[in-house]
Amino acid sequence: MAKLPTPQELVASRPEFPSEAWLETKPVFAPGSYCYPAKVETMQALHMPNPHEWDPAAEDWNLPENWEKILCDAFEERLKKHRSLKLFMDICVRCGACADKCQFFLGTNDPKNMPVLRAELLRSLYRRDYTMLGKILGKKVGARSWDKDVVKELFYYAYQCTECRRCSLFCPYGIDTAEITAIVREMLHEVGLGLHWIMDPAKNCSYTGNHLGIKPHSYVEIVEMLADDCEDIVGVRPKTPFNEKGHEILFICPSGDVFADPGIYTFMGYLILFNELGLDYTLSTYASEGGNFGSFVSFNMAKKLNAKMYEEAERLGVKWILGGECGHMWRVINQYMDTYNGPTPKNMSVPVSPITGTVFENAASTKMVHISEFTADLIRHNKLNLDPSRNDDLICTWHDSCNPARGMGLLDEPRYVLKHVVNHFYEMPENTIREQTFCCGAGSGLNTEEIMELRMRSGMPRGNALRYVQQKYGVNRMCCVCAIDRATLPPLANYWAPGVTISGLTELVANALICKGEHKRTVNLRQEDLPHLDEEDEGE
Amino acid sequence: MQSTEFFFKVRETIIEEWVNAIFASYPLQTTGFLRTVKDPFTNPVADMTREAANVVYEAVSGWDKKPAEVRNAIDRFVHLRAVQDFLPSQAMLVFYLLKPLMRKHIMPEMQKAGKLKDYLEAESRLDTIVLLGFDMYTKSREVVAENRIKEIKSQHAQLVRWAQRMGSDVVPGDDSAAPEEQKNG
Repeated sequence: MAKLPTPQELVASRPEFPSEAWLETKPVFAPGSYCYPAKVETMQALHMPNPHEWDPAAEDWNLPENWEKILCDAFEERLKKHRSLKLFMDICVRCGACADKCQFFLGTNDPKNMPVLRAELLRSLYRRDYTMLGKILGKKVGARSWDKDVVKELFYYAYQCTECRRCSLFCPYGIDTAEITAIVREMLHEVGLGLHWIMDPAKNCSYTGNHLGIKPHSYVEIVEMLADDCEDIVGVRPKTPFNEKGHEILFICPSGDVFADPGIYTFMGYLILFNELGLDYTLSTYASEGGNFGSFVSFNMAKKLNAKMYEEAERLGVKWILGGECGHMWRVINQYMDTYNGPTPKNMSVPVSPITGTVFENAASTKMVHISEFTADLIRHNKLNLDPSRNDDLICTWHDSCNPARGMGLLDEPRYVLKHVVNHFYEMPENTIREQTFCCGAGSGLNTEEIMELRMRSGMPRGNALRYVQQKYGVNRMCCVCAIDRATLPPLANYWAPGVTISGLTELVANALICKGEHKRTVNLRQEDLPHLDEEDEGE
Repeated sequence: MQSTEFFFKVRETIIEEWVNAIFASYPLQTTGFLRTVKDPFTNPVADMTREAANVVYEAVSGWDKKPAEVRNAIDRFVHLRAVQDFLPSQAMLVFYLLKPLMRKHIMPEMQKAGKLKDYLEAESRLDTIVLLGFDMYTKSREVVAENRIKEIKSQHAQLVRWAQRMGSDVVPGDDSAAPEEQKNG
């Protein structure tokens, strides 16, 4: 008689003690755990090396014949170029401080998602070629050779890291695992392995300016459509200056804010705010994407895409650049822009707020100011007429987006703004915010729908903290200053804390902003009824 | 001695053994962390598991628990298991790992006391809870699928709206919008 397994037998997915060492276990490429590969024509259009057809789920990835040499050379080149990489390869003492800090580890319980082990995947290869002990003792000291399975493993785990840098915060040596991930991704691109959701937007940004590849005239029309919406809501049509020379400021934001829901409300917020201030600014169709998809590919690609900002600033003759609510854009600006694209064009000068006269000394080098700094300064100088009760239907919490928070230290300015435009604000638990903030689980090019399941588990620590404040304080809105967050947090909230919606900061600023010449406001930027309308009617 | 008392005498032992059996469904290298760190935000998986285990145990042992209360307590846990790398059976059957523990620690004593019927009712309550959990598991998977569709739509929300506005200039069946040569022809 056939014997059915007991529940214990069904559940026990592993033996009491693993039968093989952790370096021997191989990842399983199951649907939902990997992203779709980039198209050959996309890779060709970007002049990427070794473009080829391949499928992550297939046994053979059609790597170029001399793949091992390409990878070894690529590794050596980067070790020479980045002293930090060599240091990170040498100094880890495996104390484990980072191990449980990664949201991918917490959500998947996969030991190789501990940042220390993720780095060890590369370090084991380093040991074989660059350390005396590794050369002599090999496996006994954790060294190993390249093979095709190692390439697959590197790919699997390099794309289960959002480069959020939470782990590096806890590392006593300051090892930046995000940089290790970035280097691994660079190396994989050398043998033609890239992701569709990263390479396609990178190509579009390269060719047409924005991540969806929308042509300039259509881009302008979409922005004008949003300006029409602003007019319906506020009663004043904001200006939409495009590609105009001779203005003081160039405004650059992520193009997701022009196309995607709910980012568009943040974009409408920008238009309304600038119009109210009478800001002397222009938008650009060429530099219309601040979010740098190149930073998920390679340092060179990041540099290339980022260069558009200064090129456009020079062409249009602006004095400084105001930047919108974006995550990776600010990481690149704050950490790399000077080296990539500096010094700034001669026509640019240290940013000064035309409204308050504040000199943004912190931006003296890059000449780029974050909109939260700009708005916080306006509020500080009492330049905005705000009615936070228009946001009274919202009980808000603040999500520190990894890159602005950990990458540039933007922690208090957005909170200062938020507290002035809403009446109900509650923080999430302290070990999940500010520098210790948990990632949305889908940054650095992982916000693609085919890995939704993976995103729900990697975003679990953030979802869990959100759910806590939802149940404790009735929070129904999570705000952030990152376009990727505005794309990735709605599904995450829908899964872990249904009922919580997501928005950018400037959306709420514009809701609360009393504009000159506005009609009686009855709806917010989402065209939902404002709170207290009934009371006002009764009062009248 | 009331039936519930048999359960409460060994509560700590059984819950600890059960929770550890659930942790054993994850790779060995990670169970030490799951067992030792207690903070609900730095170790959410353990917190979700313990919350579910405690309430389920109380419900099984015969305490007055409404279905909504049980659902609420296992909600995070089921959501977690539903998106981790498990087969549906592996995700849900961890509840059943309680049964052998009950049979080991509780059944012999209740049998001796002539309360076997009460014991079997307790096991049936566990079956009910697993079915409640299965509803939630299925719903969670549906939300994942729904999220994928919604995301595709919202990524291009403005593009679609713009395209519709462009397209609406041409009303089907309205000749005035057709090109001249077509009208003439």
